[in-house]
Amino acid sequence: MSMNRRQFLAHIGGGFGSLALSHLLSSDALAGGLPELNGGLHHKAKVKRVIQLFMTGGASPMDLFDYKPELDRLHGQKLGPSSKGEGFTVPPGPLMKSPFKFKQHGESGRWVSDVFPHQAKWVDEMAFLMAMTTKTNVHGPATYMMNSGFILPGFPCLGAWTSYALGNLTDNLPTFVVLPDAKGLPYNLRGPFSSGFLPSIHQGTVINDIGAKAVPDLFPDERFKFANPKRIKTGWTCCMQ
Amino acid sequence: MKDHDRKLLGVFAKAIACIVGVSSALHSGAEPLSDEAFFSQKVQPLLTQHCLKCHSHDAGKMKGGLTLDSKSGWQTGGDSGPAIVPGDPDKSLLITAVKFTDPFLEMPPKKKLADAEIAILVEWVKRGAPDPRKADTPAAIDSNWWSLKKLEAPEVPGDGHPIDAFIRKRLADAGAKPAPAAERGELARRLYVDLHGYMPTPEEVQAFVSDADPQAYAKLVDQLLASPRYGERWARHWLDVVHYADTHGCEHDVKRVHAWRYRDYVINRLNDDVPYGRFVREQLATDVFFPDEPQLTPALGFISAGPLELSRAVTAPKTFDYLDRDDMVTQTMGAIVSTTANCARCHTHKFDPITQEDYFALQAVFAGIGKGEVKYDTDAETHRRRGEMTALATAANKRDKGVLLDPRYTRTIQQWVAARKAQDAKWQILDPEVFVAAGGATLTKQADNSIFASGTKAPQEVYTVSGEVGLDQLAAVRLEVMKDERLPMGGPGRAGNGNMHLTDMDLQWFAKGSDEPLKLKIARATADFDQNGWTAKHAIDGDAKTGWAIHPKVNETHYIVFEFEKPVDTSKGGRLVATLKQLPPTHHIGRFRLSVTDTEEAAVQALPEVARLALDKPADQRTESEALALAAVALDAHAHQQLKAFPPQHVTYAVSTAWSHGKELPAPMDKPKVVHLLRRGDIEQPMQEVGPGALLAIKTLPGRFNLEDPNNESTRRAALADWLAHRDNPLTWRSIVNRVWHYHFGRGLVDTPNDFGRMGSEPTHPELLDWLAVWFRDEAKGSLKELHKLILTSATWQQTSKVATNSSDADNRLLGKMNRLRIDAEVFRDSVLRMSGQLDLTMGGPGVEQFVGISGKLATTLDYNAYDWNQPSAKRRSIYRLVWRTIPDPFMEALDFPDLGILAPKRGQSLSALQSLAIFNNNFVLHGSEWIGQRVQKEHPDDARTQATRAVQLIWQRSPDAEEVKRFVDYIEQHGITAFCRVLLNSNEFLFLD
Repeated sequence: MSMNRRQFLAHIGGGFGSLALSHLLSSDALAGGLPELNGGLHHKAKVKRVIQLFMTGGASPMDLFDYKPELDRLHGQKLGPSSKGEGFTVPPGPLMKSPFKFKQHGESGRWVSDVFPHQAKWVDEMAFLMAMTTKTNVHGPATYMMNSGFILPGFPCLGAWTSYALGNLTDNLPTFVVLPDAKGLPYNLRGPFSSGFLPSIHQGTVINDIGAKAVPDLFPDERFKFANPKRIKTGWTCCMQ
Repeated sequence: MKDHDRKLLGVFAKAIACIVGVSSALHSGAEPLSDEAFFSQKVQPLLTQHCLKCHSHDAGKMKGGLTLDSKSGWQTGGDSGPAIVPGDPDKSLLITAVKFTDPFLEMPPKKKLADAEIAILVEWVKRGAPDPRKADTPAAIDSNWWSLKKLEAPEVPGDGHPIDAFIRKRLADAGAKPAPAAERGELARRLYVDLHGYMPTPEEVQAFVSDADPQAYAKLVDQLLASPRYGERWARHWLDVVHYADTHGCEHDVKRVHAWRYRDYVINRLNDDVPYGRFVREQLATDVFFPDEPQLTPALGFISAGPLELSRAVTAPKTFDYLDRDDMVTQTMGAIVSTTANCARCHTHKFDPITQEDYFALQAVFAGIGKGEVKYDTDAETHRRRGEMTALATAANKRDKGVLLDPRYTRTIQQWVAARKAQDAKWQILDPEVFVAAGGATLTKQADNSIFASGTKAPQEVYTVSGEVGLDQLAAVRLEVMKDERLPMGGPGRAGNGNMHLTDMDLQWFAKGSDEPLKLKIARATADFDQNGWTAKHAIDGDAKTGWAIHPKVNETHYIVFEFEKPVDTSKGGRLVATLKQLPPTHHIGRFRLSVTDTEEAAVQALPEVARLALDKPADQRTESEALALAAVALDAHAHQQLKAFPPQHVTYAVSTAWSHGKELPAPMDKPKVVHLLRRGDIEQPMQEVGPGALLAIKTLPGRFNLEDPNNESTRRAALADWLAHRDNPLTWRSIVNRVWHYHFGRGLVDTPNDFGRMGSEPTHPELLDWLAVWFRDEAKGSLKELHKLILTSATWQQTSKVATNSSDADNRLLGKMNRLRIDAEVFRDSVLRMSGQLDLTMGGPGVEQFVGISGKLATTLDYNAYDWNQPSAKRRSIYRLVWRTIPDPFMEALDFPDLGILAPKRGQSLSALQSLAIFNNNFVLHGSEWIGQRVQKEHPDDARTQATRAVQLIWQRSPDAEEVKRFVDYIEQHGITAFCRVLLNSNEFLFLD
């Protein structure tokens, strides 16, 4: 029972702890300096943080950054099949051009519509990936696709992969944090934040609506008087040394 | 390069190719090479030298999706389509590529082939690309891999327990020694957790420790295996493997109310110790193998265990079918034969001998079923008779002479005729008080209380009629559709040809003074005449595309009778409301009248004209068609009467022919859907049709199923079950013994329990694995309990974990000691409940909701934090929790309860900040601390010393030493016993098994 964390991890044996141990040792070796990310990359990560905004029902890119001049030309024409196609809820209607005006901005000449006058000033600082495609336009599967790259459930999401690849800067805080829309969860509920088959250490820590219970289990519920953090602090280590 | 230059070059290349081609043929001697020789001598060396490095299974690369190591490889082609059009070099992408005429398609990419080499390829294509390499062999189907090899038991290398002999041989070879046995107390703890899923009580530990019988340990193993707690523990492992949950998952994550019957099935069958081969057969096709045991129907919940994507079912039905079956194939092959067949969905497996056709053959096995609620009887006799009566009703519907005129039914028909003659239904015509047409037609009441429709003809029309009923009970309603000279062709319909369609009939009863209608359940609809394909039954099937019609018998009055499941009490008065739905096209009813009756059974049923005439004739004077018509009516009535009288059926979430796309079909599918091989897995690129089968790689078993009736889908599942459970299937037996080993040691002999392919691990002890597989199959006859016993009684399993790991074996793969394992989420919960003395051992039944659920219109939210842990349902074992697929319990998740959107053959053993917080602060643990604290307080009031000892015994299953007692007493005096219990529940000594 009297065992420090290092001994404990070594003691777990069976290989389960050795990985965590080598990680501990390597991060301890750097003690004093700035912490380093410790994920699975074989080169030094340039990126320290990733913020992903996933907006169910957000504005269409072709009204924002993805200028489609062909739509101006074909506006009002019907091109698609007359019957409901696979993946559609109704037969496709005529094409519609963007109701917003597009202009080129910055040295890169990025097209931006007039709904984003302020972002348009910063286009040279932003990277746009204009090669995105999807295997589905059905809400549920598409929500999986956007977050895990697969249209089926059970695969790790971007945040979990980022946690896996970049690692963390400290053992004491979750690496991957999710702030869901206060109005409700997205399609597939918490499915899009899943760590899938990756260890649960990469799971998203969901921060709920503002309030005392923003992070589950951060503090004991007040009705448990015996668990009052102030009272309990002393004596714990003595008891468990 | 300009366009005309490109063209010129193309012509030039062609010209050269011609010349070179001819000359090379001349050079090779007087006799031109045969196609086969030309390929093997000229073409194959070129392909091998220049192409296969990036385009073959052997290389593990198929750039652009193209393989050139088999004929089917270039036939199917890659992203850009087939690589060769035999006979036409100009249209063959392979030739375009090697000629470097298209800057976007130049192969080999680094250096263009010599002109002479190009010419050989052109010549080959011109000859029609003869390719004597057998499709998919030998490169693709190479069964020379450990898991596919025939199972043969190796000799046990030594005396004593066979497992120890194998393990110690490897240890000795590595110059290592096994660890000593664990202390008895530790052993008891480990054994209870392993077999029952919770910690033993201090009394149970004591009983074992002080048992002097040399057989004490073996006795304890037997005792624990005999308890129903064993099934509850081990069922959870299997449910992980098959990603079972109580909701659909995905976008519409709704509850599967009846799924739990499969969970209970698994628990019960493990407790029964059903032989493993039979366990496999039951889950794939119990309906075929064990038709006399209908209570096993929930076994089919295996096939439906995974998610159901309802939104895709509606919007992308074709994709849905392929992906839903993909889940069934992935699970079946992963769980039972540890094979990643699903990797061959878009291309032949890159590493294992599984072709794309194998994969789609597996899909075809499941092409005749859908996931849904399946009804079943629990006793064989009811099941048999219900089957007979359902078949009889179908025969009546189809006018099946062979069945209907079978002498064994003669008496039944006579009885029905006598009853019908003895009593005439008294029909009371309904006086319509309110009648409206939603589509805008003008309705006019006629003198005979019928209603005549005229005016607007909307694409869809709904008539609603209401009137008072002056009967004591209401047993049936009759709708007459009447001829009228004002209607086209004399009616009764408003269509140009006089026809009408009644799409659906709804009947409701408003008792006097009540605003709440009672929907009247219609048991049967019969009509005096049914148009072919538009029968009375179609007017009560709820399907907007079907209905009852009467063409060509126009200019006649017809009628349809709706009988209720049971008569409704109408003695207190009230109103009948009838809703007549008539959806497009505009075949609306022109004139109609409603009647009601209190008469039940034979008398009310509508009779076709032939049957009505036959009724009045003596039996021996009826023509065959009259006899048949009468038999159909009589036996349909008989069958329905019998069906009504059977006890209600159970419902389970499983698969059946009656479901498709998450919906129940009006009639079960009579043949499976067609499955195509999809090029690149793309539903827009269907190739050849594929019949049911499994893997060709196991050469001793039939890889494709030759079924007598391929339209009988159940025989497809049975054939796959036969293939899986066959004694000569080496994968099946290796897979299950490895899986069981994994749960006992925390790691399998193969560390990838669902993947025995080239991307998985290889066995650390291949001889032991094979020996176990053969022993399990032949000696233990597939008994999992025997297998557990064999493993648990080995000295290997009983080793202590408390020694240093051998430095040359840091991962402990040689098992020179026991692995130290963290307890899993269920063991944590069930142990705390048991320590508090509150564990409720009620077995089975619907899942317990340990959350507060808010079912919104768009999304469900579950509040796990608001759940009241003091209610009785909180004390059930964890296996009975309702598992919501997409909203997991955060506490269980922190302790590595898996994401059940995907198969979970292994659980994580993670240690995270979130996990520490959960164990420290979660309401369940705080309640648990209180419960255990209260118990200790009650047993030992106000004595910190005995309290400390008792709490440690309960939670750590050992007694504290004197020095510990001193410290613990200090702590209890300062913070109380409850706080102390919380400390113990957060300790490694509780969380880990030594």
